[in-house]
Amino acid sequence: MSKEYGYIGKEVTQAFRSNKGIFTPQDIIELDQENKWTNFGQLELIETVTLASGSPANTLDFSANNLTPYNVHFITYHSLINSGNAEVGFRFYESGVLESGSVYDYALQYGTTGGSFGESRSQTNPRAKFGDLSTASTESCNGYAYLYNLTDSTKYSFYTFHNHRTGQMEFGSGVLDQASEITQIQVCVASGNFSGTLSLYGIRFA
Amino acid sequence: MGLLQVSTNTVTSAVASVTLTGINSDDVYMLTINNFVPSTDAQDFKIRVVESGSPNSTSNYDYAHKLLRSDTTYNNTSATNQTSFDGTSSTGNATGECSNGIFYIYNANNSSEFTYFTQEVVLASHTTLLAGFQGGGVFTSASQVEGVQIFPGTDNIQSGTFTLFKII
Repeated sequence: MSKEYGYIGKEVTQAFRSNKGIFTPQDIIELDQENKWTNFGQLELIETVTLASGSPANTLDFSANNLTPYNVHFITYHSLINSGNAEVGFRFYESGVLESGSVYDYALQYGTTGGSFGESRSQTNPRAKFGDLSTASTESCNGYAYLYNLTDSTKYSFYTFHNHRTGQMEFGSGVLDQASEITQIQVCVASGNFSGTLSLYGIRFA
Repeated sequence: MGLLQVSTNTVTSAVASVTLTGINSDDVYMLTINNFVPSTDAQDFKIRVVESGSPNSTSNYDYAHKLLRSDTTYNNTSATNQTSFDGTSSTGNATGECSNGIFYIYNANNSSEFTYFTQEVVLASHTTLLAGFQGGGVFTSASQVEGVQIFPGTDNIQSGTFTLFKII
């Protein structure tokens, strides 16, 4: 297929913010797939990861080095189930090294359908908590989180979240208050294993 | 869900306010605040709606928030008939301290409806305390809103990226 984009006898290099020439619909589709078509404000799926119910694990990593060039990330998750009613959270790899120390802060509000509301907080948590899982398949945890500044080595890494499982909602915020570049995200539970599906998106130019 | 960027402004030297316009349909819009840093320590940012090119400073802003904090019991904040909408809490301006958040904006373009906001904000305060600021608000005037103005409680915005998306 020609890569001349209307130019005669001259191959043209395309890039985001720098598209030149005449484009067919197929050109646009292909450039968009290659992330070379200028289209500001995209919500782009980076990766979906799954732990099947038949093969749960204590941790689940998104792939390394796929967080750039986004300033803001968005994670959706569904069907998270744990073998021991444990909390679930993120841990971040800083320049390739997993931060597993008790250095994460969070503050969340919960409420149950039975009328119980309360607070949960920590300034020394070993993970960036975003929920509490249940064991029953009919009580899976589902929700979303926004994450900020992961790829900026001069900034702290922040997140907000909102989730719900049968009988309980939780929303809140957290931070890894260390200025560092995050290169990978891990999802983990405090004890036992978990299963479920998470999708990581980037919000371009946010 | 898709996002279409409508307007964006990255502040790298101090300004009094940022205005984002381009709301021209009945779709839901999303405002992202990334790395808001005030030029004066311990300041929040506020939001006003923009109509016909001008921010509306009438007493028509109602809101209710939960301030989640990692050190002690949470606070409730609420008010009616204010001249702006509270976007965050006392944000620090030392290294690493800032506010980040997402706002969804509803019914802005509809001149026969109030304009509604939901928000979820996370910040490191002037004492580097982790806090969340989550809730919602309403601009209680049935009018056509074309955008938002963001400004600090006092002084200037030192830095930050402010982006308005249409949800498509």
